[in-house]
Amino acid sequence: MDKLLTLTALRRVVQLTAFVFFVYGAMIFTTFYTGDKLTQNLPALSCAYDMKGGDFCALIPLQHQMDHRVSTLFTQNAGAMEALMGTLITVGTVAVLILILNKAFCGWLCPLGFFQETITMIGTKLGLTQLISLNRETINKVRPIKWFIFLFLVLIFPLLTGIGFLGHEWGNPYCSICPSRIMTTAMTGDMSQIYLSQANNGYLILSLLADLLFGLMIALALFVRQPFCRICPMLPLQTLFKKIGLLRLVKKGSSSCESCGNCVKACPMDIYEIQDSAENKNITHSDCTLCGRCIEFCPHDGVMNFKYGPLTLLSSSKEGFKKRTKIDKWWKG
Amino acid sequence: MKKIILVLFCAAALWGFGDGAIYWAPHGCDNGKATAAKHGSHGKGESAMFALMNQEGNASAHLILPDLSEKPLTFKAATVNLPKPSMGGYYAMVAEGNEMNMTYSAVRYLSLQGRPAKVSPTKLTALPKTDLEIIPDPLHREHDRYTASKSYRFLLHFKGKPLINTTVTLETHDTPVQTYTSDKTGAFLITLPNDFKNVKVGRSENKPSEFLLSTQYRFGEHLYKSTLTMPYSLNPNDFWQSQSYGAITIFIGFLVGLVFYRRIKKGAKNG
Repeated sequence: MDKLLTLTALRRVVQLTAFVFFVYGAMIFTTFYTGDKLTQNLPALSCAYDMKGGDFCALIPLQHQMDHRVSTLFTQNAGAMEALMGTLITVGTVAVLILILNKAFCGWLCPLGFFQETITMIGTKLGLTQLISLNRETINKVRPIKWFIFLFLVLIFPLLTGIGFLGHEWGNPYCSICPSRIMTTAMTGDMSQIYLSQANNGYLILSLLADLLFGLMIALALFVRQPFCRICPMLPLQTLFKKIGLLRLVKKGSSSCESCGNCVKACPMDIYEIQDSAENKNITHSDCTLCGRCIEFCPHDGVMNFKYGPLTLLSSSKEGFKKRTKIDKWWKG
Repeated sequence: MKKIILVLFCAAALWGFGDGAIYWAPHGCDNGKATAAKHGSHGKGESAMFALMNQEGNASAHLILPDLSEKPLTFKAATVNLPKPSMGGYYAMVAEGNEMNMTYSAVRYLSLQGRPAKVSPTKLTALPKTDLEIIPDPLHREHDRYTASKSYRFLLHFKGKPLINTTVTLETHDTPVQTYTSDKTGAFLITLPNDFKNVKVGRSENKPSEFLLSTQYRFGEHLYKSTLTMPYSLNPNDFWQSQSYGAITIFIGFLVGLVFYRRIKKGAKNG
């Protein structure tokens, strides 16, 4: 039993609990109504289209505020407070949540993240060849995509829609392509979000993208770790506040770190920067989901650390590394 | 005078709907829409004026606000004008009247935007509003709407307690009356009909229709009649959205992913 007590095992329990809460929570913990959800501004992809969910992500209010409120600055000469108050509340709530858990919302609580990791586990058990790490070149090409999605699909297109430059379909374009919308609703037995719209070219493009992306994500997750997370616009939103997060990844490695690269191999987001030398430095990268795998797979005592404020929650160790490697071998057969 | 003509026109258009029971219907006149536009928190093109159809005798009406406080509504030629909403959330319009040995009532819910009331909508639906009451369980969610081809659950209560084995009728303008019977918990499930005609592509291009749930219950010599009316919209999946094409597209996306897998596996074999 002791051999299963690892950070990853704990994370799986938390992920499963969070998945149940965020996908089915309205049936037990909250209610069906939007007004009764936990925060309505969650920094994780729990979808508002899921009628049975316990909470929903901050991206849908952000898009609606751009479309219906911020745009009034340009169309109705609305006052700054009136136009921006909703956005400030959303961003403020996200900031408070990031302060508490930082980017662990991705690695520990996001239902779509857990869904992808589950598919990867299935792929491993099916004996599919796993792509351990994407190369640096690919990573450098993929990284800007999330910023493009965040800036254009979450902020700019909805704002232009509100001003009147774009059609109604661009009012919440990110939700229109988000795989979490299809996954979470399907998980509750509601298949109405699987469709191809022929209303106009805009709707057709967005629904086509959504369905292709969802199918592609499932197939890729069978052999690549967390494929959608790499382009998720939640990462840029979190990055705006990651400096204030109490939970962080700290590296103390100037002399003890041998740059073995184990941390990079363990990282599901292929963050090569974490193997760079650092002495007592917060190395929580924009792409980091604070899953803690780099700590588990670091063979050196005290080099990689999870810190919460001044407290050290977990440190890498030789013993921990041996145990984790053994479990990994057992799991992969 | 203009108002009276409009009410008569509206009544003529809805002739036969509701089988004599009172019920709320939106009043689509310019005044109602202009007032709604001034309020700024009704949906686009919606009216702030409602008519109590088949109104007789001494019916009175009031509005229950999201914080569960009440405001009286004043009739002007069988219509009421809603006041500017002071908070966001669900409102319930309630009309009640009495005749000899008969009590009749009508309820309608509205979702309006504004500063949240911080009171759960479950409390508004659970609050007894009339002796005999049809209660949405739940209401459609905020920013959502009742939609054709979808099923919705309702509860039937009499003096705050579940009313079992009682018939409820569902009427829409273009589908014959359907009847449902409440189960042992007082619940019944309806499926809204897909009966929209002359449909144009795009949700906003098609006006919502109305459905009416009505029931009656005799307690001793006294007859209670109650209705619930709500708007419902067409379901895009019945018209310009194809679910089968959607599923095929997901499958194509999956196949593209498998092509990547084959390439990677080939690359791995070649070192």
